[in-house]
Amino acid sequence: MNRNKRKGIFRAIASCTLSAMMLLSAGCGKPQNAGGPNGAQGGPPPKVAVITKQQLSFWDDVKKGAEDAGNELGVEVLYTVATSDNDYVSQVAAVKDAMLKGAKAIVIAPNSTTELNSVLGEAAEKGIKIVNINSKVSEFDQVETFIRSSDTDSGAVAARGVHKILEEKGADYEKLGKIAIIGHTASTAEERIQGFIGVLTSYASHNITRPKVTETDPDKLAEAEKAADEEYNSKLEKFSKNFIQGDRVAERDQARDEALKLLKTDGNGISIMFGTNTNTTLGICDAVSELKLDDKIIVVGFNSDEKELGYIRSGTLNGTVIQNPYVMGYVGVRYAQKLINGMTVPCDLDIGATFVNGSNMNDEYIQLLLYPDKN
Amino acid sequence: MAKGKSRFKGSGAYIFAGILIGIIYLVNTFLVEGIYWSNTSVSQTTSTVMNSLNKINGQLSEINNDSISIAAGLKTDMESIVKDTNNRYANIIDAEHAFESVEGLSDTAIRRYNYAKNIISTYKQRLDAMGTGAVTSGNYEEMGYILKQDIYPMQITASEMLTSTIDIVSADTGKIMRKNTIRSYLLMTMMMIVAILGEIAVWIFAKKAKKARLELEEREKSLAEVDAKLKTTRQKASDLAIINVLTGMKNRYALDNDINDRLESGRFQIAVFDMDNFRSINDTYGYDFGDEYLAAVAEKLKEEFSEVAEIYNITGNEFCFVFNKNISESQAMGIAQNIQRVMSSPYEVLNLAVQLPCSGAVYHYLPGDCLNVNSLLVKLDTAMRNAKMNGGNMISTVMNI
Repeated sequence: MNRNKRKGIFRAIASCTLSAMMLLSAGCGKPQNAGGPNGAQGGPPPKVAVITKQQLSFWDDVKKGAEDAGNELGVEVLYTVATSDNDYVSQVAAVKDAMLKGAKAIVIAPNSTTELNSVLGEAAEKGIKIVNINSKVSEFDQVETFIRSSDTDSGAVAARGVHKILEEKGADYEKLGKIAIIGHTASTAEERIQGFIGVLTSYASHNITRPKVTETDPDKLAEAEKAADEEYNSKLEKFSKNFIQGDRVAERDQARDEALKLLKTDGNGISIMFGTNTNTTLGICDAVSELKLDDKIIVVGFNSDEKELGYIRSGTLNGTVIQNPYVMGYVGVRYAQKLINGMTVPCDLDIGATFVNGSNMNDEYIQLLLYPDKN
Repeated sequence: MAKGKSRFKGSGAYIFAGILIGIIYLVNTFLVEGIYWSNTSVSQTTSTVMNSLNKINGQLSEINNDSISIAAGLKTDMESIVKDTNNRYANIIDAEHAFESVEGLSDTAIRRYNYAKNIISTYKQRLDAMGTGAVTSGNYEEMGYILKQDIYPMQITASEMLTSTIDIVSADTGKIMRKNTIRSYLLMTMMMIVAILGEIAVWIFAKKAKKARLELEEREKSLAEVDAKLKTTRQKASDLAIINVLTGMKNRYALDNDINDRLESGRFQIAVFDMDNFRSINDTYGYDFGDEYLAAVAEKLKEEFSEVAEIYNITGNEFCFVFNKNISESQAMGIAQNIQRVMSSPYEVLNLAVQLPCSGAVYHYLPGDCLNVNSLLVKLDTAMRNAKMNGGNMISTVMNI
């Protein structure tokens, strides 16, 4: 029958098509192999807890960096910020919370050098990777990596900034007035002050001239040399006595009061003032502008709060040292992710510090540091 | 597909299915090609990106090494170092162009790269400043500060940003690849489903067609049965019309039908016989007996003569014999005598032996002798009546005039 014949043909076509499709679908498997081993594994993104010190623009930038890294690298960031830079209690709670939530790594800027050791040890026991940022925990050896801007070097950058200003002014280190320092209450302050004093003294040692020995008589030469050394050393000694330090303070108002105390009403012979963090810098600026000593006193400080930038623009603040909190947060999370994936990272990473003043604050690079989210 | 197919009947469905499969095949091919090319281009993009970023990173690290060597006093030939650095920076710029020429990178990757690029260009400025400042004046302390506090942190930050960019691009690539893998699996599954559905549809359709055909055959068969039944019934009815119920012989109408056509051109022998005085049987023994007697006679006649003649029972006890064509005139006469002998022999009916004489007439029919069967029978009957009037128990012949 005609129908039967047609059916047979159709059957043949259908089976041919079917086998062709089978072949084709077997071929589908090939391209996917070309993908290679790149890219994150499937499954939910790993959790990384980021715990910072206090509610300041600096830590906001750390948060931004951490969140950017989280988004870009496929990591879920659990962010916690403590209430002040000595509030380790809420940081202990945050570490415990991170353990509960199943974080694979903890990125922490500790508010205490030792108080967090036991809880961090507990976390490390569970295989959670500890990434230490900003300031170091001591007597604790389970930190995988330490990421920060060296505070000694940051103090040194401040000193280099001061030196450059003095150089531009043609100032004489010998005739320099007092150098007043107001530090904040955290451990980082001491390192910054140490770096600042060390490098500024070093500059002084190069710039304070040793008296020239004009003696021609060889017998008297040694004596003359000695006298010159002594004079030079006494000059350096005198310079080192220029450094005066106020009490360590935490708040801006306290810093202002401390600065006013040092400055008295007429400046009290102070030519340089150095604040070691945002609040001390702002306090110094408040006092200097209140006494209208803006032109007489060189003020250098730390960090890039919008108010500090305002003081730079107004000329009260001659310069400020900025670290790179954004990169600190970013690399913190990045290293955490690398550690989770079993890769090695450097034990210690110094991400540097930069001196910002009125003339470079609009540079592209400085803008990137000041406003990381504008990038 | 299955629905669409079953909606169509006949060859349309096959053509439709063929076209559909063709389209699916084509779509499948294009999709597979698409996935393949997407993967290929992603691989190319990734390798360009990786190469350029790794190159930047490598050159940066070499520049850094040179800077450290200067600070450490390991290298002193400033001219060659500056030349090397410039060459390396030129390589960086080339690699940057290569990276920037890549299209279709994600915003995050580009953002991270721009961060790195920004740092690198500032790094170069600082490096140049160091070259014209501290290096020229031989101020190693200052050089140390710049390297430790500015240049080195910048280089490692840039490096981190570059490797992050690589990771982002890798992750993006992985995502696209995974998406493509999922797409190809989906496609495979879809094709399998389509194929299976198609097969099922074909199977169902074939089954349905078979069922329909069987139904049709069934109907044809029953129709044929009905037809056959009808024919039998009709046959019976017509048989009844031409057969004498009592003797089972054909009747007058049958004779009419059978020989009417032969009258004009036929040439045959025909004879009629009946019992002389059959009425006496009916009168003596009753009609039932007469009927039985007739049946017995008819049975005997059929037995003896149905091979040489067609026998008709044209009226009550009158039988007509149309002899076969091969029977000659003289043979017919002989057979007629036999018929007379058989008919007039005794028959036992209801335990009674009865014997009746009979008379007959034989007619050698020639073409055109009669106009119709009726006149033929009249001729025969007349001849037979003559025989009976002459005492019966004899055979007369129809005279051809």
